[in-house]
Amino acid sequence: MTAYLVAVGIIALIYMLLTIGLNLQYGYTGLINFGVVAFFAIGAYASALLTLAGWPLLPAFVVAMVAAAVVAYPIGLLSLRLSDDYLAVVTLGFSEVVRLVIQQERWLTHGVQGLPGIPRIFHSLGVGQYAELATLAALALCNLAAIGLMLHLVRSPYGRLIQAIRDDEVAVEAIGKDPRRLKVQVFMLGSGLAGLAGAFYAHFITYLSPDQFLPLVTFYVWIAMIIGGTGRTTGAVAGSLILMVFLEGSRFARDWIPGVSEVQMASVRLALVGLALILFTMYRPQGMMGVRR
Amino acid sequence: MTLVDFCNLLINGTIEGLLIALPALALTLVMGVARFPNAATGDYMTVAAYAGIGVQALGGASIILAGLGAIAAGSAIAVVFYLWVLRALRGRPPVASLVASIGIAFFARSMLTLFVGHDQQTFAVPLVRAWNFGGIRLLPTDLYVAAVALLAMAALFALLHLTPIGRQMRAIADNPDLARACGIRSGRVLLALWAVVGVLCALGGMMFGVKAVVSPDLGWELLIPAFAAMILGGIGSPAGAVAGGVLLGIASELSVPFVGPSYKIAVAFALLLLVLLLRPRGLFGKAILAR
Repeated sequence: MTAYLVAVGIIALIYMLLTIGLNLQYGYTGLINFGVVAFFAIGAYASALLTLAGWPLLPAFVVAMVAAAVVAYPIGLLSLRLSDDYLAVVTLGFSEVVRLVIQQERWLTHGVQGLPGIPRIFHSLGVGQYAELATLAALALCNLAAIGLMLHLVRSPYGRLIQAIRDDEVAVEAIGKDPRRLKVQVFMLGSGLAGLAGAFYAHFITYLSPDQFLPLVTFYVWIAMIIGGTGRTTGAVAGSLILMVFLEGSRFARDWIPGVSEVQMASVRLALVGLALILFTMYRPQGMMGVRR
Repeated sequence: MTLVDFCNLLINGTIEGLLIALPALALTLVMGVARFPNAATGDYMTVAAYAGIGVQALGGASIILAGLGAIAAGSAIAVVFYLWVLRALRGRPPVASLVASIGIAFFARSMLTLFVGHDQQTFAVPLVRAWNFGGIRLLPTDLYVAAVALLAMAALFALLHLTPIGRQMRAIADNPDLARACGIRSGRVLLALWAVVGVLCALGGMMFGVKAVVSPDLGWELLIPAFAAMILGGIGSPAGAVAGGVLLGIASELSVPFVGPSYKIAVAFALLLLVLLLRPRGLFGKAILAR
């Protein structure tokens, strides 16, 4: 039971990192990133491939973060010159292309067969619970650092500036700031966090394959952010916990509703994600807890 | 690549492009009149294609009947989601409708897979041998499919330019405030718009299904190519969507000998980036867009 809770906690914290990154991009700056999963995948594969090639974990994690942020740079630069809707389309397309590349380039990623045997984090502590607890602690630290960074950013002049971009981009330009440069920076920062989350995921699950990186993952993160309330620092925490309860709960639901296959359950899960996106945008755009502005 | 190969790829690309133009037209109409990128376009196609399969299974293999079933299902689903969700989101920023349309896409597809399953289906169409003109192959099925697409486009352009409702749609696309001031009732126009969008999606889904197979991911996988076609042609321009679709179809077919068939989506995406970079308003777009 403890082992199970620790495992669920780890996944929840991974989603939390992704949600914090997206909240920074969309919630505070208004960047519509529909390709979160692409940067998650890039981080996961970068770190997995490097450690399988014999790198130690720590530099591999750093490279995973940097790789995701660096890839975000041209994508952001390209589409941020245009309006928000384009970024949504471009990032969604980008995430599908990344998945396609992972599927096709077998020499690098083993394609659909997947990449097994990725070393665990803290494997020197043995296979038992200590390694997982240490992973949980490390993830919690990273989340705290990310939240701290975000709180600091949001309250700094920089934070006021990026929120001003979300609210009125023309006004920001009028006071002599370059909103495009700021947007690219925020886009890279959020994507770097997604890359870090990907690295944790790779070394926790220890097996990667392209079907773990469907666009659905992106919208799990969107749900977590929307439920928590966009542009609220605590929102990411609450949202990803609620998301986790839902994902795990749907697994248990299958145990006491007989005659439902895993495939059907996957359909139900997708339906509920869709329904949540619809109902929240319609009735509670401010999230579960926020006050309607 | 020999000349014959080139011609074959050109023909395939044109036909594929004419089919892509159908969802691209649906996207561009919504973008022009309702002003948001409708991510559910692809899944409307899928649902309609499955409806066609269902009708064909019930109604004794008539492909015409299947097509009518698909059209009915496509416009029904588009209108229902407009009335239920998208109508309530008018007046909110486009991102609200965009996120909701993703929700609609997931919801529609999951309902489909829940009740129909994930199996691939095919339309029962008579198997015919390709005509062969000295190596240049032409499938009669492809010709029918292309003819249906062309007819649908002709009907759409007639609707947009020759009927009052079409004129009202274009008026709202041009200037919503002015249209309202002129007494155009946007509620009725939007209802008609979504019905038309549903028909376009249905024909698109059905024709792709006839050409290949129907699977739950049919429409979702065509969403990025359709977006690319729309942006290539210029957002809000129906003629541009058709031209963009055909150009995209030809480009992605011609790329097959170089990058293999599995990278078609990537080619569409690369083309999309290129257009955004070099000519963001597309080939036929107006110099000043709404945004």
